[in-house]
Amino acid sequence: MAENSFEPKITAFVCNWCTYTGADLAGTSRLKQQTNARLIRLPCTGRIDPVFIMKAFQNGADGVLVSGCHPGDCHYNAGNFHARRRWAMFKEMMDFLGIDNKRLHFSWVSASEGKKWVDVIDGVINTVREQGPFTQYKDINKETEIPVK
Amino acid sequence: MKDYIITAENIQLLVNDVLKQGWDVVSESKTGVNFNAIKDASELAIKSDSKPSKLSMKDFFFPKTEPLFFYRQSHDGVELVDASPIEKKTLFLGAKPCDAAAIPVLSKVFNWDYKDEFYNKRVENSVVVSLKCNYSDDYCFCTSIGLSQKAEQGSDAMLTEQQDGSYFLHIVTEKGDEFFKMYSQYLKDTQAENNKPVESKYPEPAVKFDQGKVKGWLDANFEHDFWNNLGDVCLGCGQCTFVCPTCHCFDIVDENCNYHEGGRMKNWDSCQLCLFTKHASGHNPRDGQTKRYRQRIQHKFKYYEDKFNEVLCTGCGRCTRGCGVGIDIGGIMERIDKF
Amino acid sequence: MAELKEIAKELLTSGTVAYIIGYASEKNDKTVPFIARTVEDAEKLVFTHHSVNNLSVYLKRIKKPESGKVGLVVKGCDLKAVVALIQESQSKREDIYIISPKCNTVVSDNTKPWNKDNIASKCLSCEVRTPSLFDATFGEIETVELPSDEQIELIKKVEAMSTSEKWEFWKNEFEKCVKCYACRQACPLCYCDQCIVDKASPRWIDSSATVQGNFAWNMIRAFHLSGRCIGCEECNRVCPVDIPLSLLNRKMSMFAVSEYDYKAGTSIEEPTLVGTYKLTDNEDFIK
Ligand code: SF4
Ligand code: SF4
Ligand code: SF4
Ligand code: SF4
Ligand code: SF4
Repeated sequence: MAENSFEPKITAFVCNWCTYTGADLAGTSRLKQQTNARLIRLPCTGRIDPVFIMKAFQNGADGVLVSGCHPGDCHYNAGNFHARRRWAMFKEMMDFLGIDNKRLHFSWVSASEGKKWVDVIDGVINTVREQGPFTQYKDINKETEIPVK
Repeated sequence: MKDYIITAENIQLLVNDVLKQGWDVVSESKTGVNFNAIKDASELAIKSDSKPSKLSMKDFFFPKTEPLFFYRQSHDGVELVDASPIEKKTLFLGAKPCDAAAIPVLSKVFNWDYKDEFYNKRVENSVVVSLKCNYSDDYCFCTSIGLSQKAEQGSDAMLTEQQDGSYFLHIVTEKGDEFFKMYSQYLKDTQAENNKPVESKYPEPAVKFDQGKVKGWLDANFEHDFWNNLGDVCLGCGQCTFVCPTCHCFDIVDENCNYHEGGRMKNWDSCQLCLFTKHASGHNPRDGQTKRYRQRIQHKFKYYEDKFNEVLCTGCGRCTRGCGVGIDIGGIMERIDKF
Repeated sequence: MAELKEIAKELLTSGTVAYIIGYASEKNDKTVPFIARTVEDAEKLVFTHHSVNNLSVYLKRIKKPESGKVGLVVKGCDLKAVVALIQESQSKREDIYIISPKCNTVVSDNTKPWNKDNIASKCLSCEVRTPSLFDATFGEIETVELPSDEQIELIKKVEAMSTSEKWEFWKNEFEKCVKCYACRQACPLCYCDQCIVDKASPRWIDSSATVQGNFAWNMIRAFHLSGRCIGCEECNRVCPVDIPLSLLNRKMSMFAVSEYDYKAGTSIEEPTLVGTYKLTDNEDFIK
């Protein structure tokens, strides 16, 4: 029972030119999807600084998705190619530091892929739900939080 | 005050008893990096001939980061929530004289106009049992500051390692007396003449400079060529100030804050960092490492003395041992002395 | 050493360089960074097993001279930082006069004599004891008997840990951080005018030295150095609380080699790892 009642919080950093519109399309097409994700729209995956991901975990996200345009489709030509390298390195580093890669996801979703968006986000939500709450990160948050009596 | 003998085994038993009473026991960590609150007497590291730990124990009186209060916004205004009260009593065991001596020095600045209740509460709750030091290296200069390997400033009691492996316990303050009365079963009465210390492998450091003379020079030479090249190689890291038992600058920031709530934190800060004196306008009166390093010297050996009649340094040498580029504060004092 | 002094004197007399950033002896065997501005100063320059500092850090910390080059005494390993600074357009090759010694390893603990058990860990896998980029060089290569590389063993050990074990390992380390930023100040590649931790609005990284603030700081610094760190281990050396920063940096450097065949600081012409990309970069992890 207790396990079933956990609903993960997902922060999704998405590119304005593709995934965001793709997610919109999913909505206007009335495709059914789970509602655990908060989308944050940015101009390009190249603008998604890993510090955002860290901040999301700090502020209570149980999982993070970063999503942008397919290779070759970048509105600014190469933002996603640069991002791809950074993500690979960031992911490797997170793993070495003991942050489960099951909480950190990446995808390419274009503006026309409403269906793919639903599959991706549902997949992410399900995976993170299985992991349970990200207490590991929340526990190091205590010192600056209002003490509970 | 009274003197006792305590065996090494009895120290262990005493410590475990103290822990059982719900006290914290803080001693140097075995790695020699910092001081730690131990969970069991087996973690104790009482070594009279070891180098001072890299970090001093000031963290336990003046933590590197501590909440002052928290705030929360509601419909009818802002609610302030106190930080958790400081209740724990703490026994400090095996501190070096140059570490303990920093406490009365810090107490002055934390009680000057505003009384820092956090600091004071921690001092009030602590019993400091120091250990006569049998160490010295090129960077120690306690004797130039008027301290020594057996200085008692800041200690409530002092242990001296004996030739037979036991410890001579000299009580320094009322507080120390009261504390050890609670554990008299572990002590044996003795007299001062029975103090038979082990011979120290390292001699007491020689007096390197005359503090009064240095002060005179500092009074007269805020501007001097000497300063110009001093800061040349300084990297402007805060290492020297952060490891120092007497450096006490802090910054206050709001953390974890959003529109509704947050915590106000008091964090260590350092005059060596480039933001320390930067104004909102962008102007920075101490705009280079030379000026910043001069500030460190002047604050320690002139301003603090002007204000509190006390040098802001115990001669522990930590700042120098840890400096990545070998800036040697004792050596600088020696050079000033020779002018 | 006589060679170094001669080179230095000649450069200062001829006015080729404005000053030389090198090493001078301090107490015992220890050497410290020293800036030689005159021929008399040049007499004080030394290079020994105790010349541990990566002096290239000063290229960005000291004001550039109005005329003449900056003379820099720099070991093969630290030279990679100079290369990286040039690659990242922070320095110009023609502004620096590189004096690079043939190096016979340096100590790990600067207060103890050099011997087999007191050799810096970076030296154990060094491939650049004979430098390849310099304006002047000196010294002779000697055979040095090296102990085994424990750092690489530790990396493998951490890699083999479970996620929660890794987390505990790093938590215990980062907990100690006092946010002195010595790691940043000693790093030749941490040259930003305003570091991300010093940015206050918005504040991305907590300035408090809480566990969370420390994680954020160490994580982001390591990430900013990923694929850029040249492995001089200065950060590790200056950290007052002995956090094994090199472990993380080296792990990331190893990844840059295995994944992108990129070694930081090897070639001035090559674009930096994050400054470029290949169409064929791996994307198995992207859905
Ligand atoms: S004196 Fe040394 S430790 Fe202090 S700021 Fe300068 S380089 Fe850092
Ligand atoms: S200034 Fe240096 S020698 Fe003096 S108390 Fe501080 S760390 Fe010790
Ligand atoms: S890494 Fe190589 S060049 Fe650098 S100090 Fe060690 S042996 Fe010398
Ligand atoms: S991160 Fe450390 S090892 Fe890497 S370049 Fe900077 S100081 Fe050197
Ligand atoms: S040098 Fe060490 S203690 Fe200082 S900020 Fe860096 S990691 Fe933290």
